[in-house]
Amino acid sequence: MKRRNFLKLSSAGMATAALASTGLIAWTPRAYASTINKTFYITDGLITQPDGVDVYFRGFSSSQSVLNVPGEQMIVQQGDTVNITIINTLGHQHAFTIDGLGLSTITINAGASKTLSFTAGAPGSYFYLDPSNAPYNRLVGLHGGFAIMPSGSSNTLYSGSPTFVQQYFWLFHDIDPAWHTAISNGSTPTTTYKPRYFTLNGLSARPPGAPGAGDPNIDAMVDPRSSLHGHIGDRTLIRVLNAGKCQNSVHVHANHMEWLTENGQIRSDVWLKDCINLDGNMGKFDAIYPFEPPPDAWPAVQTGVYPMHLHNEMTQTAGGGLYMFGSLTDIYFE
Amino acid sequence: MFNLLKKHKLMSTNGGGTCYVYPDAPATPGLVTADITFSRTIDMNIPLTMDNGTVVNMWGFADGGGGMGGGATYPSAPMRLTQGQIAHTTLDVGMMWMHTVHHHGIEPAHTSDGVGHITWDVYNGTYTYQWKPSHAGTFFYHCHTNTVLHAEMGMYGAIIVDPPEGPGTLFSGGPTYNAEVFWVVDEIDSSWHTLAWNAGTCGGDVGLNDLNPDYFVISGIDGSGNSAMSAPNIAATIQLGQKLLARYICAGYYPQLLRFGGGLTGTIYQSDGRPLPNPVTVSQIRASAAERYDIIFQPTQTGTYLIETDILDWITGAVLGTTRTSITVV
Repeated sequence: MKRRNFLKLSSAGMATAALASTGLIAWTPRAYASTINKTFYITDGLITQPDGVDVYFRGFSSSQSVLNVPGEQMIVQQGDTVNITIINTLGHQHAFTIDGLGLSTITINAGASKTLSFTAGAPGSYFYLDPSNAPYNRLVGLHGGFAIMPSGSSNTLYSGSPTFVQQYFWLFHDIDPAWHTAISNGSTPTTTYKPRYFTLNGLSARPPGAPGAGDPNIDAMVDPRSSLHGHIGDRTLIRVLNAGKCQNSVHVHANHMEWLTENGQIRSDVWLKDCINLDGNMGKFDAIYPFEPPPDAWPAVQTGVYPMHLHNEMTQTAGGGLYMFGSLTDIYFE
Repeated sequence: MFNLLKKHKLMSTNGGGTCYVYPDAPATPGLVTADITFSRTIDMNIPLTMDNGTVVNMWGFADGGGGMGGGATYPSAPMRLTQGQIAHTTLDVGMMWMHTVHHHGIEPAHTSDGVGHITWDVYNGTYTYQWKPSHAGTFFYHCHTNTVLHAEMGMYGAIIVDPPEGPGTLFSGGPTYNAEVFWVVDEIDSSWHTLAWNAGTCGGDVGLNDLNPDYFVISGIDGSGNSAMSAPNIAATIQLGQKLLARYICAGYYPQLLRFGGGLTGTIYQSDGRPLPNPVTVSQIRASAAERYDIIFQPTQTGTYLIETDILDWITGAVLGTTRTSITVV
């Protein structure tokens, strides 16, 4: 068996690698279909949690020398030819697919590579993941966000949807380190699932004054992939995905969200919500944060900073305490 | 970019210490004369007796109106006002702990939003939150300091915003109602209820990731037996043909399933303080933490209808407990 290329990364090192090629998603529509080639390396390693505990993860990474959890977010356009190559640097077989598109699952043997090719279908928000040994490979980090934009559109989620001017992924995760340790040993977890860490796009938050606070490589509150920035009128699409097992309630301050889809289905009516349910085990929804003036301010305001957090508040902790070191970020009205 | 206040204070006293709090009680920017004021003080000793005789300690906001102070209830006293009124919530906190008031679903300036890490946790003084609700509906207020613990401890109360037409109309252009009940459903893990206000803030495992509820309450009453079956403001008796409004707040952390028995259906007109484009008629509602639903019932047959809310495990979906109340139509 091939010896694992075992990476020991702090969350800072991990996220630096991730941020090098991501950040706020810029999207330019095309009048033509294109060919999109992407390579992910399956790597593994340890990520240090807010309480100092190192936890084992695997990821779809941008190179063989980093560990990205989640994998880099991808956006393609309907009709594009997409070729995703997976290079498995680990000593055991893995798999890859995109959920909800009716694609086949490719299996990649230890040390081997394989390519999944397909034509991008229905516009929407999706998970890519390793669906093998479910749910363990997904839980241990082999997942990421994938979006298909309508052909030629820069501002719709699906044909005729409400429009937006910018878009983000919010990919939530919950982590039971005992399960990750079992998976790293090649075992099936036997303990009751008890999540101790909670992340947004792979990072936990750090409140002001905490070590790492304000560092976009460590702190989910300021991670440019997660923290919303907008002026009044900058309607923002958020593609919300849940890689973890916990059922969450996504709560925003300052504006209600326009709730467009639920688990891949377009809702018949757009409800305005300050909390939206997010199912566990790959639940998802799409919503628009409208960046309207906070309606209940007196005197009226157009700038300010507000949080997004989950309202099942256990998710706001790390290691059983440390409130505000969980899955939350901030929203900036600029 | 807006400049965040980045004050924080670490204190080593009071149990496990206090970290990542932002104590202050400054003057409110843009303060004007209010149309209505809600005065709130802190009560960290509210005994709640369960059906089995166990007393669980709750925390809450006491209605300090008139300067009398006094003991708080669980849930805390509601705030009821009219859409468009300029409201003040004054929060008076001493030197023993820190708290805030966040008016959930109300969307004011961030200086009146009550989120510690963005502004301040109120300490050693009084802070005035200023807000002017632009929508009628059901909201709630809660403490946003060490929220995972303080909201579990019961530091919340309902906010009812009436339209200009007043109580009896849900929102302008919306349905009217003859009677009103409040279903504020929560789960309680009594093992959390001996923790200090700052528990876990400096680190250490105090179990705040792991909620194991042993009591299930509706609007402050043990709901697992018959105590809430005929309790005022929770259970209702209406005449055939009358319309009953239920303001349902999912006040816990776990998902809930609200079920109407006896073939009863209700029509959801609002959620989270915003009208639905098309009201929906349902026999059950799946709710997630801090969601609100405003439901109108107009039963077509006399009788007693059982209203149950299952509290579901956030991982397995298993039913952990159920609260019960009733609607009687005569």
